[in-house]
Amino acid sequence: MNAKRVTVVVGAVLLGALAAPVIAHHSSAPFYDPTKTVEITGEVTKLHIKNPHSFLYVTVDEKGQKAEWQVEMGTGAQLARNNLTVDTLKPGTMIKVSGQPSRAEGSKGMCCIKTLMKADGSAILRGTVPKEPPLR
Amino acid sequence: MKSQGMRRTFGLLAFAALLTMTRGVGARQAGQTPPPIAPGAKPPASPGAKPPAEPVSRFPDIAGMWNGTPRARPMNSENFPWTKSNYPVLNERGLAYQKAFDEAVAPKYDCVPSSSPAIQYDPYFMQVVQWPDRVVFRYEKDDAMRTVWLDGRKPTVQDYSLQGFSVGRYEGNALIVDTDHFLFDITGFDDYNGIPSSTLKKVTEKYWKENGELRLTLTLEDPLFLRQPASYTTRWLAAAPGYQLEPWECDPESSRAPIKMMIPKYK
Repeated sequence: MNAKRVTVVVGAVLLGALAAPVIAHHSSAPFYDPTKTVEITGEVTKLHIKNPHSFLYVTVDEKGQKAEWQVEMGTGAQLARNNLTVDTLKPGTMIKVSGQPSRAEGSKGMCCIKTLMKADGSAILRGTVPKEPPLR
Repeated sequence: MKSQGMRRTFGLLAFAALLTMTRGVGARQAGQTPPPIAPGAKPPASPGAKPPAEPVSRFPDIAGMWNGTPRARPMNSENFPWTKSNYPVLNERGLAYQKAFDEAVAPKYDCVPSSSPAIQYDPYFMQVVQWPDRVVFRYEKDDAMRTVWLDGRKPTVQDYSLQGFSVGRYEGNALIVDTDHFLFDITGFDDYNGIPSSTLKKVTEKYWKENGELRLTLTLEDPLFLRQPASYTTRWLAAAPGYQLEPWECDPESSRAPIKMMIPKYK
């Protein structure tokens, strides 16, 4: 296991600037803290592409202990439209991912991916929320 | 010998039949019945004849595959489509329910589809099919489907459902849909604001096409929770040719999985 670290960065977040897959099934606020950013580096265990949420499971080495993180992603339909498949993130792939940390004490979750890249730094997924004016 | 004669007789009869058929084709080509036209080709014009009139539709054509993703409009959230300017005015009951609302009880975490007025604003594709007696809306989100009846039928007490009972009519260039007979829904207003809707909820939708887009003005009333009707307007873009709805097939496990990430409101 080459997982390295878990870093929690507390501070202002440029909301919407780098919001990778959109969720649109529920508000992320009750589950994840938009004022914080967490970054993990670890090994992909599995990618479940499902509706209404897809989940990426990542095994992280935290001070010698293995911990499984659950990264909430967009819907299966949204990932399909962005050509993200299980072959994109195969088990064993080393990745670095950052996003909003989960709120529940002891939980190891993340949503609203801000950066997602392979351990070599190559990009896997990165998107923006379109900012069109409301029609009304 | 006998067999040879029969074969000759049969051959003569077959030739005669073929000749008759060939003459028949010739007669049709002379103008009795137009020949088949290759796809995309224009029918031949008769000398001096007026060009054929365009077919006149009996109702506004809103059929097709429509793109409701963030390409078309802002993503739904706490602030869309209900903004400061159109946010519903809740009565005391509505405010009390909203205050007590617990995200963990939202039926969507068990794959229950969203209903009006939320389903129209979910950021997915939608297909509209029109028949003389009904219009069918198929939503990519939740594999949901709504039927709007145009034949004058009335709902009965057996017709209460999540999506309600919809009747419609055409007015000018628009389809007007009136829906009632909704079941009580703890999140029947939208996915984000914790506002319920009651069996008295009524939703009116006006659909029309403009500049190649499908537009909707939706108005809902629910005297058990709202002091006055609330309304929003939105749009869909035409989907890329050949787009087909992705199956949703909601997975109960992944649907409820986020709940454990939340600090419980009630213990």
